[in-house]
Amino acid sequence: MNFDDIRHGLETLKDSFADGWDRLRRSAAGALTRFRPGETTQLPARDEIDDVLFLSGQRWAMLGGDVFEDDNRLVVRIEAPGMEKDDFDVQVAGDHLVIRGEKRFERESTEGRWRLLQCAYGSFERNVALPVPVKNEEARATYKNGVLKIELPKVQPGRPSSRTVRVD
Amino acid sequence: MSNNVTQTSQTSSQARQEATLLPPVDVVEDPTGITMYADLPGVPKDKLNLRVEGDQFSIEGDVVLPLAKDMEASHAEVTLSRYHRTFTLSKELDPEKVSAELSQGVLRVRIPKAAHAQPRKINVQVQ
Repeated sequence: MNFDDIRHGLETLKDSFADGWDRLRRSAAGALTRFRPGETTQLPARDEIDDVLFLSGQRWAMLGGDVFEDDNRLVVRIEAPGMEKDDFDVQVAGDHLVIRGEKRFERESTEGRWRLLQCAYGSFERNVALPVPVKNEEARATYKNGVLKIELPKVQPGRPSSRTVRVD
Repeated sequence: MSNNVTQTSQTSSQARQEATLLPPVDVVEDPTGITMYADLPGVPKDKLNLRVEGDQFSIEGDVVLPLAKDMEASHAEVTLSRYHRTFTLSKELDPEKVSAELSQGVLRVRIPKAAHAQPRKINVQVQ
């Protein structure tokens, strides 16, 4: 590793910190997701990668998610770019929605060096708390523009309830 | 190590105008050019804007997430709706020949090296 490598790494680190911090401030902590690359992820070999930050650490990335609701249904959206729709595994487990998947690395040629590697690859799992009971068997999911959308009909239709918590 | 793409930090005035998301990118360099991949989930093709001005290459995209009108967010993490990132291209690259495609939220950009920077094979005749 020469000086340029280190300097490049520090620049990447700085960018990544600013990026991460900004996004953290406006995102719920639940969006921070661990990506575990495995054999099927097909990442390039370490000696083909120059991104020091990538080489140095564990992979965490933001997987933004929203939950919307109306009288009849909940809609959960997860930002997960670069997937195939069959690579998602979506399950309702009690009062949680569990979304699993693996983002694989797709390379077009074996030539070249990876100067930057900031996108996340590997297996991930995201849990989303559901505010009301839903009909599992009527759930529908679609995947468009890199966003997974899951529609879940409510067991008991009705306005989103607001509760007042009494302080004793 | 030569870096063909360096990121230009946004000026503070730009940042104050509008908060944007910085998309993560992968960059691979081979002998004939660079290929860049950027994660832009939620951005449709018609809301993506790629610009080359001099040696500056910028990616800008608006997130479009259609929902029924009467829905209200009970929990929202994706509140910003615009991605923006600018790169400075090295002189080796030919910005006239940028090509790009967008698929499932991943933008792929190919920027070839200029003819003078391409590897050339010169045959030397030995007498």
